[in-house]
Amino acid sequence: MTNPPEFLVSGGGAAALVAPVAISRKSPRRLFWDRFRQDKAALAGLVVVILLLLIAIFGGPLAAHITGHAQNGTFTDATDDFGIPVGPNSHFWFGADASGRDLFVRTMYGARTSLIVGVAASAIALFVGTLVGLLAGFYGGWIDTGLSRTADVILALPQVLIAVGIVAACSVSKDGCLHGLIQPGLSVVILVIAFFSWSYIARIVRGYTLSLREKEFVESARALGASNTRILRSEILPNLIGPLIVYTTLLIPTNILFESALSFLGLGVPVTVSSWGSLLDDASTNGLYQVAWWMMVFPGGLLILTTLAFNLLGDGLRDAFDVRSDR
Amino acid sequence: MRSHLRKVVLAIVALAIAAGITVAASTAASSKKDTAKAGGTYKVGWEQSFGFTDAFDPTGEYLGNAWALYSNLLLRTLVGYNHVAGAAGNVIVPDIATSVPKPTNGGKTYTFHLKSGIKFSPPVNRAVTSKDVAYAMMRLANPKDGGQYPFYYTVIKGWDAYAAGKAKSISGIKTPNNSTIVFNLTQPTGDFLYRMTMPATSPIPVEVAKCFTGAKANQYGRDLISTGPYMMQGIDQVSDASCSAIKPASGFDPLSTLTLVRNPNYNKATDSKKARESNPDEFQFLVDSNSDDIYNKVAAGQLDDEVSSPSPVVLRKYLTTPSLKSRLKQNVGDRTWYITMNLTQPPFDDIHVRKAMNLIIDKQALRKGWGGPTAGDIATHIVPNPILHNILSEYDPYRTPNDSGSTSLAQKAMKGSKYDTNGDGKCDAAACKNVLMIADVRAVDKAMVPVIIADAAKIGITFKVRSINGAYPTIQTPKNNIPISERPGWGKDYADASTFFAELFSSDTIIPQGNTNYSLVGLTPAIAKKVGATGSITGIPSADKQINHCQTVSGPTRVSCWAGVDRYLMTNVVPWVPYLSARNLNVISSNVTEWNYDQFSDQTAYAHVAVK
Repeated sequence: MTNPPEFLVSGGGAAALVAPVAISRKSPRRLFWDRFRQDKAALAGLVVVILLLLIAIFGGPLAAHITGHAQNGTFTDATDDFGIPVGPNSHFWFGADASGRDLFVRTMYGARTSLIVGVAASAIALFVGTLVGLLAGFYGGWIDTGLSRTADVILALPQVLIAVGIVAACSVSKDGCLHGLIQPGLSVVILVIAFFSWSYIARIVRGYTLSLREKEFVESARALGASNTRILRSEILPNLIGPLIVYTTLLIPTNILFESALSFLGLGVPVTVSSWGSLLDDASTNGLYQVAWWMMVFPGGLLILTTLAFNLLGDGLRDAFDVRSDR
Repeated sequence: MRSHLRKVVLAIVALAIAAGITVAASTAASSKKDTAKAGGTYKVGWEQSFGFTDAFDPTGEYLGNAWALYSNLLLRTLVGYNHVAGAAGNVIVPDIATSVPKPTNGGKTYTFHLKSGIKFSPPVNRAVTSKDVAYAMMRLANPKDGGQYPFYYTVIKGWDAYAAGKAKSISGIKTPNNSTIVFNLTQPTGDFLYRMTMPATSPIPVEVAKCFTGAKANQYGRDLISTGPYMMQGIDQVSDASCSAIKPASGFDPLSTLTLVRNPNYNKATDSKKARESNPDEFQFLVDSNSDDIYNKVAAGQLDDEVSSPSPVVLRKYLTTPSLKSRLKQNVGDRTWYITMNLTQPPFDDIHVRKAMNLIIDKQALRKGWGGPTAGDIATHIVPNPILHNILSEYDPYRTPNDSGSTSLAQKAMKGSKYDTNGDGKCDAAACKNVLMIADVRAVDKAMVPVIIADAAKIGITFKVRSINGAYPTIQTPKNNIPISERPGWGKDYADASTFFAELFSSDTIIPQGNTNYSLVGLTPAIAKKVGATGSITGIPSADKQINHCQTVSGPTRVSCWAGVDRYLMTNVVPWVPYLSARNLNVISSNVTEWNYDQFSDQTAYAHVAVK
């Protein structure tokens, strides 16, 4: 719609008509992006996350190809006569580990494991948490009570202790747990982490759903005869996408650290699979870090960088989605 | 002025004399302190957990670390050792017996006469008799009481009948009076005296032990009645008025501490200083889950000794620091570390694959995981060389350059295998992929497993590794059908090669739980059914004939007989990849003024230590 004709008012009276000015609104996506790119820290986080994802996908094989060292290849010149690994040099860029393996290659492969576990566990937590939160927030009553109390109990549990117990229990025999249903390895680590993460998402989704179900557009949809499932799927869920992206982005580094903690305790990934946590565990074994600082610095530094990048990205996304924030 | 000067000179001289006296006094004091032997508390840090195999009950306890405590400090046997290093440490000497008897009756009868004046510790407080030795033997024979090495004594007449519940006593053991015990054997047994040095043969008082039988048998370890110079702290406060009155001695918490104090009933006159000096007033064994912490405390003097394995970092520190070098004690360990292969499980049911594994493994790299050459010598056959009197010191049937493995030699061996379907020297059948390997989670396992994986990949074998904390129970259960494990090691029970072969390769030692014949050498279909083993259970090679023959040999030819068994196993059976003939390494603190090594138990000779 154009504005009605304007009269240019100048000294002496009405003047000739001026052409109307068209005003266009920014789309939500544009608004989001404009707000996001003003946050330099978030942008930096995004760049680093993208870089890490590329490292996770290509870094390991590329490092192995460039150096000529396989992920689990052992080299006799990589340790001294006492079995202590050599430090960074032209042959081993990040130094070696106690088995004589190239730490640079293992660190690059470690990115893949850490991110796979972090992302997979977060994805499962997201799915379960969203489902539980939607049901609890939308239906209310005893459904809400039951699901919310369950989530509260999960949140109250000493997560690391129980995770250690479950993973350890499934690692004491060759068959794992539940007659071989749960085998030691990445899968049990992902499931254990997801088990303790979904309740965090569920509580957030429940809160948002409680608010959204009272909105006019939901009432309108109900008045038009939409079923509950349709309302959940078409009216409420789309409005949760933004917050879910934000909180999932913040959950990923938490889960990466959780996996690192389990691997550090020797309970995570198998010995042939490298993850940053298991590399840190190798560094602490027998106090090797006292004489082999590289075993701790490189994987530890990347872990810190990853956690920081995801947190900055998540903060930036949250600020960009939230139109009521100060910026 | 002159008078003043004289006074000054006199004062200076007096001061100098006083200073000299002071220096001399302190030097004398420190000398006295440095050479002081008796007294003090000897503290030992113990890594992770005590790890006792039978809760410290001597009838079933098979842990070498426990044997060091028994033999040096707590339990006397009819015959024993002087607890010193080297060959002298393996010489049998009388302990409870008045002398080391010579066998009679064609080598089938041994008569021991007991010394007088040897008493049990509180609360029993009475003289040890021959019947107490007989009782200990019956406890060992009773399969319900947890004995782990009764097979050594099946040569005693009537042993099997008693063990099967068909007799009320062991007919071959006679106690004509309180100070005489006679053993009648079914056949001459050249190492019988060695078998009588083992802790399970130490006299046990029936009035206490009768309360600990069957499923409760190993609870006796909490109230062990001593015959040695030390006893468990608090055992004198335990009442033995009835079984229900017996409470665990306060000085032993199986999870954290074992404290030993002097046994008031120990009579030094019945023992010899060569065997036991018994210097400290007290011994404390303290569990610490962190080995770094243990070595830090030893370095700081908060601990005096350790039951742990020095890491490469610790080894390098002690070997490269002149002031510390003398505090790292290295002794021959009489033990072999090895990779075991299950003869029933593919691809290791094929001897060519087992030979190829011996040729591909980089033993130098594995040794580095233990700390390098200091940790021991590369093992090329089963029994450590000192036990075989170095007969096989040059024997290496799978020699490779620098013991680093050889791909070409290994692939050549592999070509004869049914699993190398195209003759390229690599194991390419499906059975060669994702083979289950059981590993433990110690630091040394973490260092070795990648080496084994990388080496085996060169001959086409890939592994699915399962790292288990405390892997022994898993690999000791035949029905688990574990193809391969890098975990095991074996130390002698006494200085005779039979303690390697009988326990590790005889078919009659294959049992459903606690089995140490991991390779299942000599397995028959009947035994397989009994223990639940499956896979290729027919045609498994056996060494029973050779082992049984050498058991009956005495004298110098006995050692060469065992050397022949070693050769036979390494060439015709190939159950293992032996890689390390381990040295025993101990780090001690600056508080220790005397330290010795016990060759029998391959541990610190606690009988010959002293602390400031």
